Amino acid sequence: MTLTIWAEFSVPLKDWLKSVSGHHWTTKSIFSILLFILFTIIFFLALSNREDKVRTVLRNLAVTTIMGVVVLTLFFSGHHFKWF
Amino acid sequence: MDMLSLLQSKPVLIGLHLGFAIVGIDAFLWLLGKIWDKGGSVKARMITALIGVLAFVASWIAGGYYYVVFYGTLVKPVIKEGLAPWAHNIIMEVKEHIFLFIIPVAITVLFITLLSDDEIENLGLRQVSVALAMIVAGLGLLIGAMGFVISAAARWGALS
Repeated sequence: MTLTIWAEFSVPLKDWLKSVSGHHWTTKSIFSILLFILFTIIFFLALSNREDKVRTVLRNLAVTTIMGVVVLTLFFSGHHFKWF
Repeated sequence: MDMLSLLQSKPVLIGLHLGFAIVGIDAFLWLLGKIWDKGGSVKARMITALIGVLAFVASWIAGGYYYVVFYGTLVKPVIKEGLAPWAHNIIMEVKEHIFLFIIPVAITVLFITLLSDDEIENLGLRQVSVALAMIVAGLGLLIGAMGFVISAAARWGALS
């Protein structure tokens, strides 16, 4: 989400995303897979002896996913209607 | 036309994108009910989650190929010059990015289905598991509706 919004304001970043795979969306897809694998390993190691924290982490995942949808919708709406 | 060319044609890609997404949505709706009422075996829940994840991955590949190869050059200009340019600027932009949320959340739910009912209960994961399965199915339905708006905008764009 941060990368998407940042790239909308930064032409060099968007060009770099395109240069990695040929299309900015493909690069974001690859990054999302790599980030998911990385965070899965991090959370697995961090929570293997902290089972009480699993619910909190999953709740945070649910909240950030919904917030991501709301923020992206507001951002692209604002971009289209020139709110900023 | 050979089979590979057929699979790479625009109507087939759209059909595969939508068809696999429907399988994924259905799988997660079924799973949602099973987690909610503690129904089904661990194996049945795990297989359903796996079917859902694989269906969303297939939908991602078919839709992604169509988007990268055809959408930008053939569809986007028609929508942008038509009656509803917001359908690309808002709906498509949001759709292509929130699609990336579905598979990580769906795989997380798949991990949860590896737990027994007792483990889910003891860890207090029932409600959050239901919420995550609901998010996966809900995002799938939302993205489906967005796809319909984008297709309609392209048709109206072509007519205007």
